[in-house]
Amino acid sequence: MVARRRKRAARDSEDRIPSPPGYAAIPIKFSEKQQASHYLYVRAHSVREGTRSTWPQKRTLFVLNVPPYCTEECLSRLLSSCGPVQSVQLQENPDPAESPKEPGSKFFHPQPVPGFQVAYVVFQKPHGVSAALALKGPLLVSTESHPVKSGIHKWIRDYADSLPDPEALRVEVDTFMEAYDQKITEEEAKAKEEEGVPDEEGWVKVTRRGRRPVLPRTEAASLRVLERERQKRARKELLNFYAWQHRESKMEHLAQLRKKFEEDKQRIELLRAQRKFRPY
Amino acid sequence: MGPAPAGKQLRGATGGPEVMEPALEDEGKGKEGKKASSRKRTLAEPPAKGLLQPVKLSRAELYKEPTNEELNRLRETEILFHSSLLRLQVEELLKEVRLSEKKKDRIDAFLQEVNQRVMRVPSVPETELTDQAWLPAGVRVPLHQVPYAVKGCFRFLPPAQVVIVGSYLLGTCIRPDVNVDVALTMPREILQDKDGLNQRYFRKRALYLAHLAHHLAQDPLFGSVRFSYTNGCHLKPSLLLRPRGKDERLVTVRLHPCPPPDFFRPCRLLPTKNNVRSAWYRGQSPAGDGSPEPPTPHYNTWVLQDTALESHLQLLSTMLGSAQGLKDGVALLKVWLRQRELDKGQGGLTGFLVSMLVVFLVSTRKIHTTMSGYQVLRSVLQFLATTDLTVNGISLCLSSDPSLPALADFHQAFSVVFLDSSGRLNLCADVTASTYHQVQHEARLSMMLLDSKADDGFQLLLMTPKPMIRAFDHVLHLRPLSRLQAACHRLKLWPELQDNGGDYVSAALGPLITLLEQGLGTRLHLLAHSRPPVPEWDISQDPPKHKDSGTLTLGLLLRPEGLTSILELGPEADQPEAAEFRQFWGSRSELRRFQDGAIREAVVWDAASMSQKRLIPHQVVTHLLALHADIPETCVHYVGGPLDALIQGLKETSSTGEEALAVAVRCYDDLSRLLWGLEGLPLTVSAVQGAHPVLRYTEVFPPTPVQPASSFYEPLRERSSLLPRPDKPCPAYVEPMPVVCHLEGSGQWPQDAEAVRRVRAAFQLRLAELLTQQHGLQCRATATHTDVLKDGFVFRIRVAYHREPQILREVQSPEGLNSLRDTPASLCLERDTRQLPLLTSVLHGLQQQHPAFSGVARLAKRWVRAQLLGEGFTDESLDLVAAALFLHPEPFTPPSSPQVGFLRFLFLVSTFDWKNNPLIVNLNNELTAEEQVEIRSAFLAARAQLPVMVIVTPQDRKNSVWTQDGPSAQILQQLVVLAAEALPVLEKQLMDPWGPGDIRLGPRENVAL
Repeated sequence: MVARRRKRAARDSEDRIPSPPGYAAIPIKFSEKQQASHYLYVRAHSVREGTRSTWPQKRTLFVLNVPPYCTEECLSRLLSSCGPVQSVQLQENPDPAESPKEPGSKFFHPQPVPGFQVAYVVFQKPHGVSAALALKGPLLVSTESHPVKSGIHKWIRDYADSLPDPEALRVEVDTFMEAYDQKITEEEAKAKEEEGVPDEEGWVKVTRRGRRPVLPRTEAASLRVLERERQKRARKELLNFYAWQHRESKMEHLAQLRKKFEEDKQRIELLRAQRKFRPY
Repeated sequence: MGPAPAGKQLRGATGGPEVMEPALEDEGKGKEGKKASSRKRTLAEPPAKGLLQPVKLSRAELYKEPTNEELNRLRETEILFHSSLLRLQVEELLKEVRLSEKKKDRIDAFLQEVNQRVMRVPSVPETELTDQAWLPAGVRVPLHQVPYAVKGCFRFLPPAQVVIVGSYLLGTCIRPDVNVDVALTMPREILQDKDGLNQRYFRKRALYLAHLAHHLAQDPLFGSVRFSYTNGCHLKPSLLLRPRGKDERLVTVRLHPCPPPDFFRPCRLLPTKNNVRSAWYRGQSPAGDGSPEPPTPHYNTWVLQDTALESHLQLLSTMLGSAQGLKDGVALLKVWLRQRELDKGQGGLTGFLVSMLVVFLVSTRKIHTTMSGYQVLRSVLQFLATTDLTVNGISLCLSSDPSLPALADFHQAFSVVFLDSSGRLNLCADVTASTYHQVQHEARLSMMLLDSKADDGFQLLLMTPKPMIRAFDHVLHLRPLSRLQAACHRLKLWPELQDNGGDYVSAALGPLITLLEQGLGTRLHLLAHSRPPVPEWDISQDPPKHKDSGTLTLGLLLRPEGLTSILELGPEADQPEAAEFRQFWGSRSELRRFQDGAIREAVVWDAASMSQKRLIPHQVVTHLLALHADIPETCVHYVGGPLDALIQGLKETSSTGEEALAVAVRCYDDLSRLLWGLEGLPLTVSAVQGAHPVLRYTEVFPPTPVQPASSFYEPLRERSSLLPRPDKPCPAYVEPMPVVCHLEGSGQWPQDAEAVRRVRAAFQLRLAELLTQQHGLQCRATATHTDVLKDGFVFRIRVAYHREPQILREVQSPEGLNSLRDTPASLCLERDTRQLPLLTSVLHGLQQQHPAFSGVARLAKRWVRAQLLGEGFTDESLDLVAAALFLHPEPFTPPSSPQVGFLRFLFLVSTFDWKNNPLIVNLNNELTAEEQVEIRSAFLAARAQLPVMVIVTPQDRKNSVWTQDGPSAQILQQLVVLAAEALPVLEKQLMDPWGPGDIRLGPRENVAL
């Protein structure tokens, strides 16, 4: 098995760049200056029969190992040589279904720092995919016409981007809270309506807002009740009253001592093993 | 007390050190069933992991009928020991230090051989004492014969009697240094009348040994024949014999010649009598002015000691002989002294002295013969802690003979007084007051430890070594010792020199210590000195000179509250004491006018920062030694702050950062006051808490205030911010200090996690607005925090709502029951907004109590990070380990200098058994002893789920929050190994600054350390 893999790897290195089986590799570089290059691993997007996938079969190119400095716009530009590109989506993990996820608030769900990503590139024509698979490269991300910032310039830009806009934040908070308040009012109104009204089987739902408030249905509350019960019972009990109780408590004491003695012996054993009894 | 229980009697009957085994066997028989089953259990589960397992006993085992033996043992444990664990520990320890029967047999055989050989040494015809030509070439007289000329004749005759004295016969002899003392009674023919005078007896004694040594050295039986001093007294050499071959380290036989009984008249050797004539000693003609000869109490005592060897042995064997408990007690006491280095050197508290002390306590009914070893140890410590023998001497003498000298006479001559049964010999003659005070101090600490019922009391009391460098805050070395000779002359100590036979180290020690104690005054808690080690030398060499006895080391235990003052206030100028004060302080004393109008003598030391104030004792010591004892600064090596450089900032030279930290904390205090007084917030601020190492004084390098220079930045108008220019150097990194701002509770808060975050964001915005409006501070609000620039520091204010973790924790079960489950988000929030601020404020309080805390914690962190292990340990976990050194200093006292604190940090880290124990840091003393026991058992039960390093605080009893995410077992092990390596290296260097491995400690050097 290992031998076979090694043989295959050897063969791979001869004629083409090593890549996961089924994928074609396209070298990609940051700019002209770099010697070595990263590789994009590309494959036509296909799913097994019956799996739901919103990406159009045939027209979609699945790309692995997209470097963090390569943006969607940039990828679209690089692959446009193979044919007109309809859309590009970068994701952290492959996901056959196109997820038009509502992007969370940028204030409250900050985007994680991107690493290497995967991309789904949808071409307008199916032959774009085959052209892309035959692409030799190397692709250049930063060119004279489309420079990408790096080093201190990038950091300064990142810092400028990270400066929050208090006004936008305020607006977002206000809209969210308005919606939230509305939701709460509606829920309360609904609860008030249902209050005391029996359902079809004749059960009445008891809520906190009723005229006679009941215990909240929480674990803490039920534990509290149990504890109170236990205390009540303990208060009624007589200790060391009957002869058998006396005898048992003595026995219990002895058992405790024995248990302690066993523990101590174990500890001594351990200390002796660690040579902790040598005062020199 | 009643009759001794069964096990006890059995022990008494067998006697000897091996009795533990039969006693245990006997008890084992009673519990045959249990023993067998426990063996089975240990077979069933692998105990080799070195991990404690919770004990599981079956019901039948726990509740079976007790046997008589078991009940007896339980009762005995209850009466005689603290707990069964302590009893087992003590038994184990005694087993370890006792001599085995097999070795005893070998030693006995060797002793017989020695006896025969000594008796066969040929005699020598009589010669003058000064004529030593008869001595063979290979041997030198083991005594400094100064002045050489002395009257009298000497001849060698085999000893009249050879007797074994000391601990070997009593069975209180402990390993590893097994010594057997043998007294050789010199025949009466050797001695003459008036031999007690002018060292004549000692000269003869030395010659006697020299001749003996020469003959024994030729014997193939002995592996080594060397000279040493009896108890370090350099007038009294003794001969050390060790067997040849593999037994070389087994035993050392020490031969002590002694005079025949009743040879010396005791009345001539009282402490008020003179036996070394000035005319002889100083070579002067007798003073014509009729001034009396100075008494020679130490000289007299040394002679008396030789005469009393046998009577002491008899007394000890009658008192201790039959009581195993007392012997155990003496052995434990010896271990106790040994761990504290109190038994070593000249003037130490030897095993013989503590045995006599036990005898004294038995005779005063403070100790009963049926007591256990532990009880004896406790009683003796209690006695030592409460009795000051430097003021109230004690005596074993029962007779009320009027011819005996009074205790007051002894007090005049000696600093510590403990008379033997004859009433004429002070057993503690060589013990200095300082040594005794150190013993008292140790006894007091130990009593406190025993009373605190700590779980590991035994370990701390008897198993933890307390070397000087780790026990004292500052240490100071005097070298070369020859300077002390000049000091003796300067201090006019001629009578003492005469008494000590020219030993200027012993003569100068007492007065020097008194001088320094007076000078250090309120800064000092205890001043201890190292005792000169007892040398050992080859018989073909001259005895080592006094100046060769290495270094005199003094240990200073400082009083932190006294360290803050730079002023030594003297009497008012017109008072008579003023002259005395001026004389004492010399040129440093100046007249000063104080704010209340008084004009007083005063000494002002120059110290600007905390670290310099800590080193004022250095200035005091060097000044006083140079002024009064003629010891120049070059001879005094003060070890107090060599590690300070490691926590100094880049540009600082005089301060270790305490002041800079205080500036930041003051700025934070101002900010919190502003927050409290803020008007216009919908809810009022209920608490403001810091959550950054700076705010608990444990940041290694304190932050420096930063004022951005406008030319380096491009303004960004709409955000009121500055953008760094790409063509300018990179701006300095300013670490924001988190501050948690709690708002009062209100019914208006939403009960939904997302909504709470929005409301908090609204508060952050409002906070920034108000701070800018009302106080003109630069602020920037984000959804989770508000950054505030104040006086060059950046604070990151986080608004917190106390119910938010609870909201995050709520889970609804399918049945609609709300329950609380910890989630990562809730734990994280809880840690950041509740536990971290709490810890910060508690440690801030600790710093107020112990000013050295900051230095210790920062040194510790600096070291850990220099070892490239900083990633594995959170700031908080290391701070807590440092706090443990202050809250649980036993068996030491809380450190008052960063240096000693750091050494103890290394010691704690390298010796703590992290696998089987949680490190309990009892902040604010909130945990009771019972709660600690509970925590320990809960720890054992849940060991597998807990992190490798568990630190428990009163606020965090189960989870060990600060070590949850690290260190890993490997990293912790690495730290333990590194600490164990670094400690001896560092200690050696601090104790021996002149040593060969002279490595200077620079900031970078630390990486290698």
